[in-house]
Amino acid sequence: MRREIAFLIALWQANLLAAMEYRVSFISQVVGMMLNNAVYFIFWVIFFDRFKQVRGWGLADIFFLFGVVATSFGLGVFLFGNALDLANVIANGRLDYYLALPRPVLLHVLASRSITSGLGDFTYGVLSFLVARQFAPDTIARFALSILLATTIFVTFLTLVQSLAFWFGNAAQIGQQATNAMITFSIYPTTLFEGGARFILFTIIPAALIGAVPAEFIRSFSWEALIQLVGAALFLLAFMLVVFRRGLRLYESGSAIQIQV
Amino acid sequence: MDFRRLVKYLAITRTQVINSMTYPFDLAMRSLMIVIFMAIFAQLWSATYRAIGQTIIGGLSLNETLWYLMVAEMIVLSKPRLTNTIAEQVKDGSIAYLLNKPYNFLLYHFSVALGDGAIRMVFNALAGGAVVWLLLGPPPHMASTPLVLITILFAWLIDCTLTAMIGLVAFVAEDVAAFDWIYSKFILILGGVLIPLDFFPDWLRGIAQALPFAYTTYHPARFFVQPDPARFAALILGQALWLGALALLLVCIYRRGVMRLTINGG
Repeated sequence: MRREIAFLIALWQANLLAAMEYRVSFISQVVGMMLNNAVYFIFWVIFFDRFKQVRGWGLADIFFLFGVVATSFGLGVFLFGNALDLANVIANGRLDYYLALPRPVLLHVLASRSITSGLGDFTYGVLSFLVARQFAPDTIARFALSILLATTIFVTFLTLVQSLAFWFGNAAQIGQQATNAMITFSIYPTTLFEGGARFILFTIIPAALIGAVPAEFIRSFSWEALIQLVGAALFLLAFMLVVFRRGLRLYESGSAIQIQV
Repeated sequence: MDFRRLVKYLAITRTQVINSMTYPFDLAMRSLMIVIFMAIFAQLWSATYRAIGQTIIGGLSLNETLWYLMVAEMIVLSKPRLTNTIAEQVKDGSIAYLLNKPYNFLLYHFSVALGDGAIRMVFNALAGGAVVWLLLGPPPHMASTPLVLITILFAWLIDCTLTAMIGLVAFVAEDVAAFDWIYSKFILILGGVLIPLDFFPDWLRGIAQALPFAYTTYHPARFFVQPDPARFAALILGQALWLGALALLLVCIYRRGVMRLTINGG
């Protein structure tokens, strides 16, 4: 376990150094993503300026919502960037490189790429939480725990969907739509949704578990929210490992020469 | 102008329409985004109207608000994407090979983009329209659809001139992605794509409605839900004025860029 953690840290270090090689590009990607998130937040500023509160949610709650979604998304794509591209890695036979090395294949392939703009999301999320001005130690602790669990749910869900490439040819398109759906639904309060839509947001596309549920958990502790988050994270983690291992048995080499830098 | 010369651009558009239909499954998959957006908006605005306890907000009923958002999203998700295409051709120099062809570089790209966008619009209209119709009923006025299509064509032309200008910035800047990104955010907020401009604070609403971004999305979508002759006349006039001004600017930027290209040897 210690070896794998040391391996991950070395990978992340190398990714960060590679991203910072071109400083201007690095900074513009980070700042650009922060501005991108701010523009979506402006929608809520205009909305709540007009409508004040909807189903128990006001502007202050959106700070927590954006805080947890942006931070967990940013952390997830920076540390495990290939969760967004796994379907292409599988379909193009690029798993060969990872299979030949003495490291856990899934861990290695997920962590071998970092999305630089994820740091912009991460920074924006933290700033959004700070702007809410809830600095009690227990609130900060719940924020940290929520980020860890939401990141786990996000990365494992994406990996699951992208792993469909072992069975379907066009899984990259499905993966992209799933990512877009996950992010789009997660920045809206779940109290807006009812019936079937609400069920979908807690199961098939667990956007509620990376957005509204952790945001409410940060606002005030509840055992229900904690059990939902921990349960979902552990279930998706286990399911992801089973699905990836099953899929890997079906994998065939693409025989392409691959240069990994 | 010899209008017979425009026939070749119609042929280019027709060819691109046929090209776009090669992979209908991919097109259908891409229409999932509008389905997601409309499902969310339906829930959000239904809850908002119930919470406020009013049937009309900012002059729009719930049904009109959702159909407005559907048309606005359809325009944005279907619209031609010229920035990257033009920027790449300027950066890698392949524009030099296109300049000696028997067609205008800009009109060629406009024609291709319109052919691309037309098919996407059909799929998005079917998918988004189905969701809103199922959830909230038919649109308030369907008879005005042919006029709406005319306004959408003008909207796309305005958008094409703006995105072409951004793409031509590649003559002087290495990377146009940041400018493209800023423009897309202006469209989202000031174009009324995420929230109708009618819900904006008074001080911001008037400014936003006068800008060209509103003529690419807000005004056509607004006309769809509340059509009347006066609104149509004002809309077409506004679009014509902005299109004229932006087209003039685009031609100046293009000629300057091409001159620069020629002087530097291509």
